[in-house]
Amino acid sequence: MTEQVIPTKQMPPGLQVENVDDRIMTLNVGPQHPGSGHMRIIVKIDGDYIVDADPDPGYVHRGEEKMAESRNYITNIPHLERPVIHDSCNILYPYVLGVEDLVGIEVPERAKYVRVITAELNRCIYIQYWLAIYGIFLGHSTMFMWPAGDRELLIDLMEKVTGARVTHAYFIPGGVRNDVPANFEDVCLRQVNYFEKRIKEYADIFYDNPILKARTEDTGVLSREDAIRLGTTGSVLRASGVDYDVRIKEPYDVYDELDVHTNVLKSGDSYARSKIPWLDMLESCNIIRQALEKMPKSGSIRTKLKPNPKGGEDEVYRRVESGRGSAGCHIISKSKPEPYRLKLSVSSFRNLIALPYLLKGEKLGNMPAVYWSLNYWPVEADR
Amino acid sequence: MGTATGIIKALNSGIKHLAVKRFTLRYPEQKLKFVGDGYQFDPASGVAIAGNKGRHMLFHDHCTGCNLCSIACEGVAEAIAMVKVPDTWGHNKKSIMPQIDYGKCVFCGLCVDACPFYALYMSNDYELSSFTKEGLIYTPAQLQVKPQVQQDSELIIDKRGARHG
Amino acid sequence: MSVIAPKFRLGYFLKAIFDNAFWILTLVTLAGIPAIQIALFLMPLPVIDGELLTAFLAFTWLFNPTMQIPLIKALLYSDLFRIAAFPGFGFAALIAAGTIFVERKMLAKLQLRVGPFYCGKIEGILQLAGDGLKLISKEIIIPAKADKPLFWAAPVLFVGTAAAFVALIPVAPGGWVVADLDVGLLAVFAVIGFFPIITILSAWSANSKFPFIGGIRALHQMVSFEIPLILSLLGVVILTGTLNLSEIVESQSNFPWIIFMPIGAIVFFTTMLAELERIPFDLPEAESEIVAGWLTEFSGMMYGLVQLGSYLKLYAFAALFVIIFLGGWTGPVFWPPLDAELITEGVPIPNYVGDPILTVATPGLPLFDKDPNEWVQQQQGELMYTSGQLLISGVIWFVLKTVGVIFFILLPRGVFPRIRLDMLLHIGWYKLIGLAFVNIFIALGLVYAGVIGPGGIL
Repeated sequence: MTEQVIPTKQMPPGLQVENVDDRIMTLNVGPQHPGSGHMRIIVKIDGDYIVDADPDPGYVHRGEEKMAESRNYITNIPHLERPVIHDSCNILYPYVLGVEDLVGIEVPERAKYVRVITAELNRCIYIQYWLAIYGIFLGHSTMFMWPAGDRELLIDLMEKVTGARVTHAYFIPGGVRNDVPANFEDVCLRQVNYFEKRIKEYADIFYDNPILKARTEDTGVLSREDAIRLGTTGSVLRASGVDYDVRIKEPYDVYDELDVHTNVLKSGDSYARSKIPWLDMLESCNIIRQALEKMPKSGSIRTKLKPNPKGGEDEVYRRVESGRGSAGCHIISKSKPEPYRLKLSVSSFRNLIALPYLLKGEKLGNMPAVYWSLNYWPVEADR
Repeated sequence: MGTATGIIKALNSGIKHLAVKRFTLRYPEQKLKFVGDGYQFDPASGVAIAGNKGRHMLFHDHCTGCNLCSIACEGVAEAIAMVKVPDTWGHNKKSIMPQIDYGKCVFCGLCVDACPFYALYMSNDYELSSFTKEGLIYTPAQLQVKPQVQQDSELIIDKRGARHG
Repeated sequence: MSVIAPKFRLGYFLKAIFDNAFWILTLVTLAGIPAIQIALFLMPLPVIDGELLTAFLAFTWLFNPTMQIPLIKALLYSDLFRIAAFPGFGFAALIAAGTIFVERKMLAKLQLRVGPFYCGKIEGILQLAGDGLKLISKEIIIPAKADKPLFWAAPVLFVGTAAAFVALIPVAPGGWVVADLDVGLLAVFAVIGFFPIITILSAWSANSKFPFIGGIRALHQMVSFEIPLILSLLGVVILTGTLNLSEIVESQSNFPWIIFMPIGAIVFFTTMLAELERIPFDLPEAESEIVAGWLTEFSGMMYGLVQLGSYLKLYAFAALFVIIFLGGWTGPVFWPPLDAELITEGVPIPNYVGDPILTVATPGLPLFDKDPNEWVQQQQGELMYTSGQLLISGVIWFVLKTVGVIFFILLPRGVFPRIRLDMLLHIGWYKLIGLAFVNIFIALGLVYAGVIGPGGIL
């Protein structure tokens, strides 16, 4: 190997000397790159093999948690949904459940069902977007267009219910802000059925495609013990053989009255990690149909809050299964309308731990497949 | 041979989709129709009415200048400022009404939820671009005008696929 | 353009018109007219009907009805027309432009969206012209440390080699090929061997990491797929016994070779996709890993030239496939045949009193008629086809078959993801060479069994 280089001039403080090897090239898969999202990965490659990978998140850090300390519980809602704009219901869910615990109010039954339906719709919307980007990272342009197009069916539904296509700002402590429009059940059922028919088409062109299988099978294998040890969650965990879904283990709202199955695959490679969200979407369609049937036909959808709601000297932590994994919110309140400290614990950041571990020794061509298959959303990881 | 059948099935799926109708909404010629009249809030029951969250509509005969919408927006986007209006109303002693800066507004609708007098609604209009930043600030007089929208396309799902027609 | 357009002022508008007119007139008089005169002085002038055709004579004859047709015929058979228009660059560029548009629209339909639809009234027909104008108007940025002569030369070399490839393809019966070589197929292999060199030179001269990786990958890909490409075509060469492309087409007048060499056709198709850098083999420009591969540093018209070269290559490869496996221009003739007498003798045209004073050559297609005594028409008893009829029918069949093959080249773009480098090398060096050898053994077997080939049954 190389010897230590002794700098001859006085180095300015803060700069490091890095030894440059003859064979190893440092590539900056940076934020301005079609294959990286809003994140930088510093990759050192030796020929075609990755020797070291250093993820560098933080490009989209906006200080959501700090900003939450100066806004009251209601005005926090449009802020806290910004980390994942299309999955906004699932990001707000733990926050809203936490505030309801702090303030001490009960949510009416119909509101719970509406929440579950919109949360599942948002999960499908997010997974479609993630799948679209996964397709384009692998060079499959049809797999970018089809999910992005079919997602419009569900975004249209969300627009009918909440009024906005993304960043819905729909949940509020106490229920939801407005009731579903008049003939929503029929429209929703029709579009969700057509959506399910469309996503079953992905099997032929993507999941059974021999080129895709040869490309993603046995790459980035995360064994069961490692998955648990590194603290991964969500689809990454379920693809390595661990049967854990927050909706079943710690059910919230009406998930204990619905029939929810989890999909578990044992191989732990990128192919399994890319297939689990698709199976999850098929499961979500079932949940939506059940919830539409069981929803009470009338009832209030919001419990009225006192103006300036505040909790006592209390702290609460609630957890929810979002599109990527378990998302949690820890709120500490000190008898004021603003939270004293709010922490969002997101699954993208936790799954990122696995990235340098998985990329060592991989070929460069596998990098996008492994990186994006960790169900990683850069904006959420930075909050 | 597994790979050969996989390849042929993929090609087959591709060719089949050449016969499905296109899904695109051809935007300036076709515009999507929205359900209802816009997002509204009913202070009596405390529940909002579903609708599209577009440009706001201010009803001058209900607005009392109570400042609640501006206070609600302070924590979110600080897009509402109260300005003096030239006309005098019986119920609006101070003659102030909200002016909304759409360069800052995030269209969350919390201002509509805050208004107790049925004065602020949201409408279906979303085409708000302008060439200058000052053009994005809508005065109360501009907010009074009901937007003219020509939206008539909707999503049709039939045997040949889904399309916007 | 990041500036908001300034308001319209008549003075500036008139000044812009005046400036443009001034520069156009200056360039035309100072540079254009001397260039035309030099060209006319140095160009070899053809001889028509025993008279040397100068420019003045050409213009005079253009308005003389009896001499118009021989003039146009002489120009049609000249070398310049062949290189620039019909089987050469113009024809290929037209098909390439059509291919780009059809690719965008067909992929869009497959992906349930519309594709270009603003430019041009009907579904975006003028999109390509718009893209060309945009590329011409962009600034060409050269990296500071790039190797300037090579970097500038690379796109031009690319188009030049692609055009050389196009020059070897025969399009229609009667020797319509720009370069009629006896070892045409060998020349094709030689030209194809240039492409990896150009790719690696342009990648290296850009002096940047991503083009470097892309160039290495392109080199691996093109070199490892050249051998199966050559081997898969050797099967047909064994069966026909000639390397001349026109003769290969002639030998398929009864049946195309794809019936006997299906494996060869599949191997050639796959290696064709790899040489063209089409998906699933577009590693050298893998967008999500190495920005744009060896094309990263090209901007403006250099990128446009590389795309043009790429699509010319696509047309040339598809045409090669059609020639070797699908029968080139053979196919049933569209028109009905005419009486043999009409063609060899001509049609007598009477004057107003009824005496025949004029005999006109074959009605309908006088332009494409060579002297009927030279060119043996296709004869069926008392009926005959003129060479003109055979020509147009041949061209139409050729274009139809090429368009069909191009459709199948464009289709995998919507259906497959990109493959990885080690999978590509494995396929190129193991599987395809094996299949190509199987193909050659089948060809040898057919020849020695006396089925096909010289002295065979068929």
